[in-house]
Amino acid sequence: MIEFWTLAIAAVTALACALSGTFLVLKREALVSEGLAHAVLPGIVIAFALTGNRTSPLLLVGAAAMGLVMILAVQAIRRTGVVDATASLGVVFPALFSVGVLLTSLELAGKHFHADCIIEGNLALAPLDRLELGGRDLGPRAFWSVSAALLLVGCFLLLLFKELKLLTFDGELASSLGFRPGRVHVAWLAVVSFTVVASFEAAGSILVVALMIAPAASAVLWVNDVRHVLGLAAVLALASAFAGHHLGLVMDIAPAGPMATSAGALFLVSLALAPRGILVKGRARRRALAQLEVDLVSARLEPGEPRDCESVRGELGWSPRRFGAAVARAVSGSALVHDAGSGTLHLSTGQAEG
Amino acid sequence: MSAPWVELDPTLVVVAAGTTAVGAVSGALGCFAYLRRQGLVGDVVSHSALLGVVGAFVLAHALTGSASRSLAVLVPGALIAGTASLALARSVSNRTRLNDDASLGVMLSIFFGGGLFLLRWVQRQSPPIPGHTGLEDYIFGMAAAMTRADLWMVFSLGGGALLLLLLLWKELKVFTFDPDFSRSLGLPSYRLDLLMMALLVAGVVIGIQTVGVILMIALLVTPAAAARQWTSRLSTMVLLAASFGAAAGAGGALLSASEAGLPTGPVVVLLATAIFALSLLLAPRRGLIARARARRTLGSTPPPAAGGAA
Repeated sequence: MIEFWTLAIAAVTALACALSGTFLVLKREALVSEGLAHAVLPGIVIAFALTGNRTSPLLLVGAAAMGLVMILAVQAIRRTGVVDATASLGVVFPALFSVGVLLTSLELAGKHFHADCIIEGNLALAPLDRLELGGRDLGPRAFWSVSAALLLVGCFLLLLFKELKLLTFDGELASSLGFRPGRVHVAWLAVVSFTVVASFEAAGSILVVALMIAPAASAVLWVNDVRHVLGLAAVLALASAFAGHHLGLVMDIAPAGPMATSAGALFLVSLALAPRGILVKGRARRRALAQLEVDLVSARLEPGEPRDCESVRGELGWSPRRFGAAVARAVSGSALVHDAGSGTLHLSTGQAEG
Repeated sequence: MSAPWVELDPTLVVVAAGTTAVGAVSGALGCFAYLRRQGLVGDVVSHSALLGVVGAFVLAHALTGSASRSLAVLVPGALIAGTASLALARSVSNRTRLNDDASLGVMLSIFFGGGLFLLRWVQRQSPPIPGHTGLEDYIFGMAAAMTRADLWMVFSLGGGALLLLLLLWKELKVFTFDPDFSRSLGLPSYRLDLLMMALLVAGVVIGIQTVGVILMIALLVTPAAAARQWTSRLSTMVLLAASFGAAAGAGGALLSASEAGLPTGPVVVLLATAIFALSLLLAPRRGLIARARARRTLGSTPPPAAGGAA
């Protein structure tokens, strides 16, 4: 049963992170997730220290507010016009994280809030922390908090999909159409922040970042439509969660590192195999270049007039190797005929008629 | 609270010298990334270095049989991993539709996730590999563990990076502010870009033992952002950022030594953040107070540009 709940928590966390991360990746603000994953720490520690237990859902909201504080602080610094957006993020989130680490080491020394949990979470223990309502056991609390995050992300996507898409791809059009892109954006980032907080306990900061960025970045290499990207990112995130969980079990280590690495591995696979990955695109480009070379050679020839290879090569200014390869391709593609005896080239008749 | 700097505890002298040097070097090197609007690149490099550090440790153990946690082994590992992750991110964003942010974020996930994976695996080994417990410290930093040998490594690597910066000052300056112009002058822009990356990685590598891979970014960005507010000259900005970094480093070491259980890294970062906040408020011309005053006397003034110094 514990095994079931561990997997369920991992799966819901993966879904919530991947769905909310997709728009971060598309909107060129993927590293905001890195910022949030660190900046919510003081919120969590303060909320934990204030009450001593973590059963109230209000504490999640309180900690998520710290993420919103980061976002507003970054915007405020950027709006002064003297520090750009990337740098303001780079100033604000380490500062908040430092506050969190200091509070952890000062206030919570000796309690079970350990530094490792900040990065890796504690998925193994999460199923043991139960949510009870009126004496009835409703399952692990972490499961309900990540489910709440997933529900929130899902509702936001369903209700404001159009607005989100508009502000992601064309913020100026959004404001000229009368939307308030700023407001929708901040509301969306608040939802993302809540997702980060809810996932934090089970997943830790590294996994939150990995699950938000890597599946979406992989999906973008395979498909075009935003809906398809969302769907594929969700599938890839689930796959990384399950693969990483299994690896962690086999090697007897915390699953966060293996899950993040699996998400990364899936990205590398996509990079190699996807239609917009490096390999496929590289091959297409090489093929286009090869065809261009054949065309350049053919353009030097008139129908029915053989020419000496060396003089064509001289006109093009190519190395013998490059020229030879281009001719060989042209001959095998039956665009040209190469007469080895006289060392001449002429267009094949099919080419001349075409 | 005692006053440990009066007693001049030799360990504290080593630690304070180390954090001061780290702060100065990363402050100076961070200016270039800041001006190129690549502030978060350092964050990715430092997280990625964890894989290199743990990987070098494992490799050294496998090759020599005796694991060594000396910086002489770990620094090359960190250099390689940091550069590899940056180069991979660059090639992904150049050759696919993914933007810089996304490709950097993915590389961070792969290298930091992989580093953590490897670290946990190392810790699970039986019989335990001697020295592996200290590897954990690279995540959050452990300035207090700095030895005299580490200090020399910091000085030589940091000094080397600064020397290179001085020697190629003019080229790096042109390249930073106007890459197109530098190309038209015939400067090797690809190699300059690589050099910039290498300098940044070197700055990160010497700093991660002190403040840890997570907080390293603050030592690169925050002093530079603070220094930018006071001046529009690159040389002044680099000197100022180095001084801010050094001050935060020294102050952090002394403050955290004065109170038991106070981790050095976060204190250094918060001091640097305080310097940034003061600069944002008080700097002449660009500072918020100066601008508010100017607006009152002149009606309205356009805000100065965010990026480049002159």
